Amino acid sequence: MTEAATAPTTDSPDRRAVASGGWLRWLTTTDHKRIGLLTMGTALLLMLLMGLLALLMRGQLAQPEENLVAPGVYNQLFTMHGSGMIYLVMTPFAIGLGVYLVPLQVGAPAIAFPRATLLGFWLYALGALVMLSGFATSEGAHADGWFSYPPMADRQHSPGVGSDLWIVGVFLATVGMIIAGWAVLWTALRRRAAGMTMLRMPLFSWSMVATCLMVMGAFPSLLAALGLLAAGRADPSIFASNVWNIGYQHLFWFYGHPVVYVMFFPYLGAVAEVLAAFSGRRFFGYRGTVLSLLAFAALSMSVWGHHMFTTGQVANDYYSLTSLVLLVPAGVEYFGMVGTVLTGRLVFRVPMLFALAFIPQFLIGGLTGIMVGTPVIDYHVTDSYFIVAHLHYVLFAGSAFGLFAAVYFWFPKVTGLMLSERLGRIHFWLLVVGTNLTFLPMFGLGYVGMPRRVASYASFDGFGLLNLLASCGAGVLALGVTAFVVNVAWTFRKRTLRGPSPAPDDPWGAHALEWATSSPPPRLNFTPRHPLPPITSNAPLLDLRQRAASGAVPEGRASEGGAS
Amino acid sequence: MTRHPAFVVVAAWGLFNGVLLAVLAVYGESSLVYWLWGGVVALLELAALAVLLSSLAGPEQHVGYRLPGRGGVAVLPAAVGLAVLGLGFVHGWWLLAVAVPLLGCALLLGAVRGRGAGDE
Repeated sequence: MTEAATAPTTDSPDRRAVASGGWLRWLTTTDHKRIGLLTMGTALLLMLLMGLLALLMRGQLAQPEENLVAPGVYNQLFTMHGSGMIYLVMTPFAIGLGVYLVPLQVGAPAIAFPRATLLGFWLYALGALVMLSGFATSEGAHADGWFSYPPMADRQHSPGVGSDLWIVGVFLATVGMIIAGWAVLWTALRRRAAGMTMLRMPLFSWSMVATCLMVMGAFPSLLAALGLLAAGRADPSIFASNVWNIGYQHLFWFYGHPVVYVMFFPYLGAVAEVLAAFSGRRFFGYRGTVLSLLAFAALSMSVWGHHMFTTGQVANDYYSLTSLVLLVPAGVEYFGMVGTVLTGRLVFRVPMLFALAFIPQFLIGGLTGIMVGTPVIDYHVTDSYFIVAHLHYVLFAGSAFGLFAAVYFWFPKVTGLMLSERLGRIHFWLLVVGTNLTFLPMFGLGYVGMPRRVASYASFDGFGLLNLLASCGAGVLALGVTAFVVNVAWTFRKRTLRGPSPAPDDPWGAHALEWATSSPPPRLNFTPRHPLPPITSNAPLLDLRQRAASGAVPEGRASEGGAS
Repeated sequence: MTRHPAFVVVAAWGLFNGVLLAVLAVYGESSLVYWLWGGVVALLELAALAVLLSSLAGPEQHVGYRLPGRGGVAVLPAAVGLAVLGLGFVHGWWLLAVAVPLLGCALLLGAVRGRGAGDE
């Protein structure tokens, strides 16, 4: 699978600065940066599609007794929106970010198992295609929600071929993510450069270690659940037994809860990097945060039963206890983030704005999670819009803000181009207003009793005003995302019209190794022109700048760019 | 063991899962849960063992690397073959007639390109 051993700091014809072009080279590449970009690009495109589905849903719910889409179509919309965002957008983007960044951050010239990683991408992309192809079938796409409980999802109640395509698509995409996750984990554990001890890895790489451990532990359970569902669709008698109906829920949620953290940790890691860079200091409480990430990840494997409180067939006390214990590592991480900001010299560039908004917004998602992790409250709000609000505060107000912080932070490194600061700020403020206008009213809707997954409601239900606010918020969100798309398109267009205006190697004065190399990085990440700096801590570039300030190293090596 | 910190991380993480499972046993759960989570703990310890074996065979940190010398030209037909195999569940197993040649083609490409000159 691999060729001769080479030091990453030597140059040769094979070590060309930029990998050769051509679309076939992209599709068959073993360069982790290209595989990461393919994965993240696919996820972002699918995010736009899933956003359109959400707009249709919010259009349908904007007024009582609306008839924009038929109830059956509405079921397909919320199923494919939820499935798509979880299986095809947030999880793959998180893993793709790891594929791109972890080898760079640990000082390696390549990812472990590059061909397997590429296979992971293609299984994901083909899985997405298969899953979405359900819309082209006569009965339409799958319509039983992202967790698709039997017997609702069996062949008797969901006879459409779209359901079978959904099972195959999710299976393929999940296998792809397991493979890519294993490659990222192995790279962090076994491909670190000399000097890069485990406790010198940047927090983002640590967040990927915790994430990929959860991928290894939890994702096979989804494959088992999908296998059970497929078997049940072939032989309906399987789901005549309560054991397998509840068994399916156990298998599904054993995956379904940790995946929330798979969709959160990498963005938390990205936010940690951004906060440290734009606060001009090391991340506060690095070791405690690393330990809390690992503990948080392990605890997240133990709480799945809180999704099944209302079945009355799980050990409620245990799952409630472990759900509450999650507060401890979460608190340590928040302590680290707040400590970094409070004692730093803040620079309010666009990535920092997204990272700062992440802190209070995710807190709302986290605290309401503690509420629904308590059986007495969960019994009251289960399957209501309160749950919809909670999960969107976790995954959109939290993770998506982390995602955009990551995009704005690493865009110059990945493309060699700077995004427009003005459009970025417009994007940010529209997203803040849109997010809270959309999802905050949903807490109220849940509190007054609106069930989730209903295609309509009567005018006398009293849900009209809050739904209208949420739909207006969705419109603002769409404007915000449009600003982002325009920003990216305009940045590339500007390069074509006016020639390249390259971003510096380290435009923010950041701390980790990826900022020591060129923007974009060369094929093997580090070259004699951009060698690995001495790795003396988890912030080697900050060390270099501090030594330069004290006169220990030449100024030029240490002072490229800076957040200002 | 401190010479193999990567192993310690994976093994300890798996063991912590085992401890949480043991606490769950105090509360009581269905047998499926013990098999499921117990199997995962075993899987994680196997992964830890793989990390340990790799650590024993090579350095903890690297100055030289084995690098990917060729593109993954066999990967795309392999992925398409696997996807078609999956579609056999939906549209019928006659699709094996498409999937098997594709997977064979991927194997062949992997073997041929595996011996050839690097393309990337």
